[in-house]
Amino acid sequence: MSIFQRWFGKVKKRKQSNSSPYYIPSKELERRDIHLSGDLKKTIEQILNMIGENDDLVIRRFHVFGDYPAILIYFSNIIKQTSINEDILKPTMYKPFHLQGEKIRKDQLRDVLYNDTLFHADAKIENSFNKMLNAVLRGESAIIIDGIKEALVIDTRNVEARSVTDPETERVVRGPREGFIELLKTNIALLRYRLPSPDFRVKKMEVGRVTKATLAVCYIKGIANPALVDEVIRRLQKIDQDNIYETGQIEQYIQDHHLTVFPQAQSTERPDKTASALMEGRVALIIDGSPMVLIVPAVFSQFYQTVDDYTERFTSGSFFRMIRLVALIFSLIFPSLYVAVISFNPELIPTEFAVAAAGARAGVPFPAVVEVLFIEIAMEVLREATIRMPSIVGGALSIVGVLIIGEAAVNAGFASPITVVAIALTTIGSFATPAYNAALALRIVRFPLLILSGIFGLYGVMIGLILITNHLLSLKSFGEPYLSPLIPGNWEGMKDAIIRAPYWLHTKRPQDLYPLNPDRVGDQVQEKLNESPHNPLSPRQSEQSVSKSKKGKEDDR
Amino acid sequence: MNRPRRITLLQATAVLISTVIGVGVLALPRFTAQSMDTGAPLLTLLGLGVGFLGLILLTLLGMRFPQQTILEYSEAILGKFLGRLGTLILVLFFALLTALIAREFGQVVVASVLRKTPLEVTVLVMLLLAAIPSRNGIDVFAYIHQFYLPFILAPALVIVALSLKNADPLFLQPILGNQPAGMFPGMLTVAALFQGSFVHTLIIPSMRRPQKAWVAALWGLGISGALYVVIAMATLSVFGPELTKQFFWPTLELAKATSLPGAVLERLDAPFLILWVMAVFTTLLSSYYVTAYGMSRLFNLQDHRLFSWFILPFVFVLAMLPGNIHVLYDSIQWVGRAGLVPTILYPLLLLLVAALRGKRGASGGQQTTGQSS
Repeated sequence: MSIFQRWFGKVKKRKQSNSSPYYIPSKELERRDIHLSGDLKKTIEQILNMIGENDDLVIRRFHVFGDYPAILIYFSNIIKQTSINEDILKPTMYKPFHLQGEKIRKDQLRDVLYNDTLFHADAKIENSFNKMLNAVLRGESAIIIDGIKEALVIDTRNVEARSVTDPETERVVRGPREGFIELLKTNIALLRYRLPSPDFRVKKMEVGRVTKATLAVCYIKGIANPALVDEVIRRLQKIDQDNIYETGQIEQYIQDHHLTVFPQAQSTERPDKTASALMEGRVALIIDGSPMVLIVPAVFSQFYQTVDDYTERFTSGSFFRMIRLVALIFSLIFPSLYVAVISFNPELIPTEFAVAAAGARAGVPFPAVVEVLFIEIAMEVLREATIRMPSIVGGALSIVGVLIIGEAAVNAGFASPITVVAIALTTIGSFATPAYNAALALRIVRFPLLILSGIFGLYGVMIGLILITNHLLSLKSFGEPYLSPLIPGNWEGMKDAIIRAPYWLHTKRPQDLYPLNPDRVGDQVQEKLNESPHNPLSPRQSEQSVSKSKKGKEDDR
Repeated sequence: MNRPRRITLLQATAVLISTVIGVGVLALPRFTAQSMDTGAPLLTLLGLGVGFLGLILLTLLGMRFPQQTILEYSEAILGKFLGRLGTLILVLFFALLTALIAREFGQVVVASVLRKTPLEVTVLVMLLLAAIPSRNGIDVFAYIHQFYLPFILAPALVIVALSLKNADPLFLQPILGNQPAGMFPGMLTVAALFQGSFVHTLIIPSMRRPQKAWVAALWGLGISGALYVVIAMATLSVFGPELTKQFFWPTLELAKATSLPGAVLERLDAPFLILWVMAVFTTLLSSYYVTAYGMSRLFNLQDHRLFSWFILPFVFVLAMLPGNIHVLYDSIQWVGRAGLVPTILYPLLLLLVAALRGKRGASGGQQTTGQSS
């Protein structure tokens, strides 16, 4: 509690003015727009009526320039105290040097304060009580002077933030180590730092009836299709929920298809990834209070791409992207393929292996599908537990988990060793998908596929895969087909779908986004690349140059 | 009716190819060998010619009425009553075709991979597989066909390539065959396998450039027909005409007779059949879509989604009507030949009447789609 409170005494008076047994300030504010009256006493009463029950509210009485009674209102815990002291109270109490000796009339006071005395950039003049109160609730401070119908609202907000660290969920080998944090201003700073362009746009809006979180819509004018930006904003405006504090909640309001497991927006905590998505013509949504940034529209191919694909050479980028794609498909179908082959078509695999597999399963009392389901569910439980438990006991649990799943289950006759190997491989494979939400979707889809394979064998696996593929083909994100650029075929996009083509070949932005400026590189990038290079270090030349320089030296002598 | 013009030439071609290649490929060598023994590839080619005639008529009509499908412009050409009657016959025929495709493949699955599963289950699963995506719009319909195309062509070509090891060119001679009498009915049977290409009429009004519909028709039927001929040749050259006649599904036997080098997979017929589910699915989807769409036209509804579930029980009952596999193949041949009337003669009639009456649809130019760019 601030010392000023004790000093001047805080007026605490409750007044039940409303007819309703429960007086709810937010309803009152919604109901009518109150103007500042200019009567200090009445204003204080109004404020106390609304938020006076809070012990962290500070109403500091003082005299502007020693003459005019005024109050300063703020919440003591989300402001910066030095800023209040140095930038607000000090200059308003003392008259500025160049006005010493002059008499300032009451009607001049507002302009003098705003233009000549306040040492704070972010100040504004409000005449609405509602707006003033909302600003105070967000951590700003307000100066109300007796007899003046306007308040000076100064941004003194200060919220503790953790430092910018390596993003936990998206690690890269080569690339920046910065991740977004909870504070919106830091996140926007991280983006502006990467995009110092006059075209970079940040539009702020408020979401959540109670939480009133600030949401920033970021895009690059001249690249992002204006129709897309308009549509994103239109969908955002339709959100009407009282508690919004995460972009994941926003995603569930603005996505195209609600009854699906597949995500239609990408969430990331990497500023470099966000910046490059903006450069492709996508729109990023940043919310104050969450480090997860939402990128729309998102299609399936984005979920297995990583930053490393772009920072490494295109050969390694392409190869490891394909490995990731293989791991993704593998983790989806391998358990069901295993069940189908073992229990329906053992004649497909080489005889020696079929015999070995059958021998290992000899002691297992369940059909293969039950066995695989059991191990799969155990794996999911283990995975979920590993995320939730305190990290201190993590090691202990993973040892127990490995022992139980790996050894004891096999010894107890619950599962065959081959099944354990198959499921372990699948689980590891499913972690190779860099996008967590897409990996979750594929994990869920694996179970119906497994059951289908238990019923119909390979035929069931195929039926399941066709159903999943058809579903994927029918999805759209803001009109962009979900499997684009593969379907509908787009040759330019294909260069960044399964392989990652070298930059000088990959000259266009994704065309499914209809960017205003489709060119990524200059016109002559190929010619410049093909110019014959100068090789100052090639052996013969360097000998010549070395001998030349020697000669030069000798001549000098 | 405003349709988004989004379907590209490639997609239109893909729709035709993956529609035409379907369950018929499995039995094709038997049909043709029974009709003309060693003349089977030639017969396939002749049948392709007849099928192509129908598609060209349909494409010409489509280019004449680039805004409408045959189900709509038939009313403009023949008048309301006769047009509706034609639509009704087409819908009934495609319902029957859908049923027979589902039944035939259900029978193949029961016979070769899931021996203990009731036939009803496999047939119903196939029909459900087609019914669910048929609720989507025409663009997703085209995406589906485009996506599956490589997975349909590749296994067939791999099987053909691997079977060359056992091929004997002597089995292909004489090229003209020994039974000239079987040529005409055989030709009609093969032509019936191309009836799925009728779906082209639904594609043309949504094509980005309907004037290019004939290019899609040419490539679509050309590629699928070439695959038919190649499969007929491969089967015949491996088994010879007499053995080919004995098998129910000679193409499946061809897959059984081949093996992958490297001994990764011991048998190829089961994987081939499983991959063939995709080919059958796309064929089934097309005929199911035509049926559902035709129904919606018949009742003057804008949306065909309602019917995609509504027609399912009827098609299922139709599929279960033939008592056994012999009756099934008799009805397939019979329905296929009878189906040439609505799929070839009916478009011919429409084209002639349209030419005589000087009817012509509003031209669908290169109007841009809803995409604002």
